[in-house]
Amino acid sequence: MENVEKKLREEAKSLLAEKKVDVVVGYEKGTLPLTATPCFITTPEEADRLVWNPFCVQNLAKFVHDLLGQHHEAQKRVKPEARRKKVVGVVARGCTSRSLVIHLQEKQYTKDEIIILGVPCGGYLDGKKLAALAGGEEIREGSLDEGKIVVKTVSGERQAALKDLLADNCLVCRFNQPVIADIRTGEVAPVAEAEKEYDPVTAFENLPPEARWAYFEKEMAKCIRCSACRNVCPSCYCRICFADQSQPRWVDIGADPSDTQLFQLMRMYHMVGRCVDCGSCTAVCPMGVDLRKFLKKLDKDAFEMFGHRAGVSLEEPAPLGAYRETDGEDFIFEPGKKIEA
Amino acid sequence: MTEKQLAKEWEPKIVAIVCNWCTYAGADLAGISRIQYPPNVRIIRVPCTGRINPFYILRALQEGADGVLVSGCHPGECHYITGNLTARRKFAALKSFLGYIGLEGDRTLFTWVSASEGDRFAQVIRGVTDAVRALGPARKLVKGPLKI
Repeated sequence: MENVEKKLREEAKSLLAEKKVDVVVGYEKGTLPLTATPCFITTPEEADRLVWNPFCVQNLAKFVHDLLGQHHEAQKRVKPEARRKKVVGVVARGCTSRSLVIHLQEKQYTKDEIIILGVPCGGYLDGKKLAALAGGEEIREGSLDEGKIVVKTVSGERQAALKDLLADNCLVCRFNQPVIADIRTGEVAPVAEAEKEYDPVTAFENLPPEARWAYFEKEMAKCIRCSACRNVCPSCYCRICFADQSQPRWVDIGADPSDTQLFQLMRMYHMVGRCVDCGSCTAVCPMGVDLRKFLKKLDKDAFEMFGHRAGVSLEEPAPLGAYRETDGEDFIFEPGKKIEA
Repeated sequence: MTEKQLAKEWEPKIVAIVCNWCTYAGADLAGISRIQYPPNVRIIRVPCTGRINPFYILRALQEGADGVLVSGCHPGECHYITGNLTARRKFAALKSFLGYIGLEGDRTLFTWVSASEGDRFAQVIRGVTDAVRALGPARKLVKGPLKI
C-alpha cells in the first residue's frame, strides 16, 4: 500500500508540474482517526497530501462529473476562441473507473478530459462496522497495521481484522483493478469472492412475497429523504432530478410512506445496468437503509436479462438504451395464461 | 357499510396505458365490432409504449389503481420502428423489480395488441380484469388511507 501511495504522489506531482492536468481528485487524510476524505490537488507541492488506504470510501467519479459539468457550463458564456479545455486527474479504483466508463458512454465528457490514475483496491472499511467495533463510542485513536485495526476509545482498546470490517460490496467485488486507466500505480490486487455476488439477492428472492414487501416497507420507513444517496451517486447526475421537479411533480414530498417508497423505487430503477456497486449510497446513508439489497437485484437482472455489466466496456451501451430482437418475452401477459409473480 | 359489504361491492380499477397506433386502434375495432368487455379499464392513449415513463405505472398504483395494463404494437410492428423494443426492456426490468419488492405480479401487466385484433383486445381486458379481481384491492404502494 505504501508503494502505491508513493507512486501515486509522484505521478500526481509530475502531471501537475507538466500541466497535463488542472486538478487531481484524490483522497487525503481525514480529520478523524481512520478516515480519509476527498480532496482536490491543484499544485505539485500539495500532491504529498494524497493518500491511498482502506479508509478511502467515496466514489470520486461524482466529483469528476461535477467539475467538468460546471466547467462546460461556464465555457458556454465564453467566446468560442477563448474557450479552454479542463483536464481532471482522478484517483480511481475499480468501481470509480467503472463509473467513469458510464459517464464516457453517456457522453458526459470525453476521454481526453480525464486522466485516470488507477489504483489497486482490496476493499474499504465500512464505517458502520467500525462504529460497531467501537461500541458506539467515539474513536480517540486508531491504527491499521498488517491487516489489523486497533481503535482506542474512552473505555479501552479494541481490535479486529481488517477483513472483518470491509464493506459488504467489497467482499464480493470482482473489479479490484480499474477497468480503464492511463497510469497504473500498483500490482494486481487479489480478487474477492465474486462468485458469491448475488447470493443475498437469490436468498431474498426465495422469500415469500409478503416477507419481501414487509422488508421493503421496513427499510423505506427509515428513509428521511435527505437525498444523500442521490447526491453521492456517480450515476445520479441529472441537472434536475425527478424528485426535485415541480412540473410535473413526479413524487410528492409528504410524510406518506408511499411517497418515500416511490422516490426510492424510482431512483433505484434508474440504476438498471448503471449501478457499479461502489457502496457510496449505503456508506453515506444516515439511517442505514439497506439499499444494496435492492440495487443488487437490478444489477443481477441487467446481467441475466441483457448480459450487461455496468461500466465494463466503452462500446456496449447501457441496457435500457438498447435492445435486441431476441430479448426475453416471458413476462408478457397472454389472456388465459397464468404468469408467475 | 361494513368492510365486508365494501369488499363485495368493490370493482377493480384498472389503468390501461396503450399506444396510439396499435392497441388504441384495436380497442376502437373492438368498439365498432360491438364486442363486450368489462368496463373496469380507464384507457390512457400515448403515442408509443416507448414514450411511457415507468413512473406513470408507479404513480397510477400510488393513486389507487388496482392494476396497470400497458399494451402496444407487437415487436417488429412499431410505428416508430423500435419504440416497443426498448420499452420491452424497460418493462421487463420494472416488472422483475416490482416482483422482487413483493408487489403482486398481476398488478402490472404488459402485452401486445395490434390494430386488427379487436377480439384479442376484449380477451386481454377480460383476462386482466379477472386477474386483478382475483388479487383484490391494492394495498401496497397506495397513498393515504385505504380507499375502496
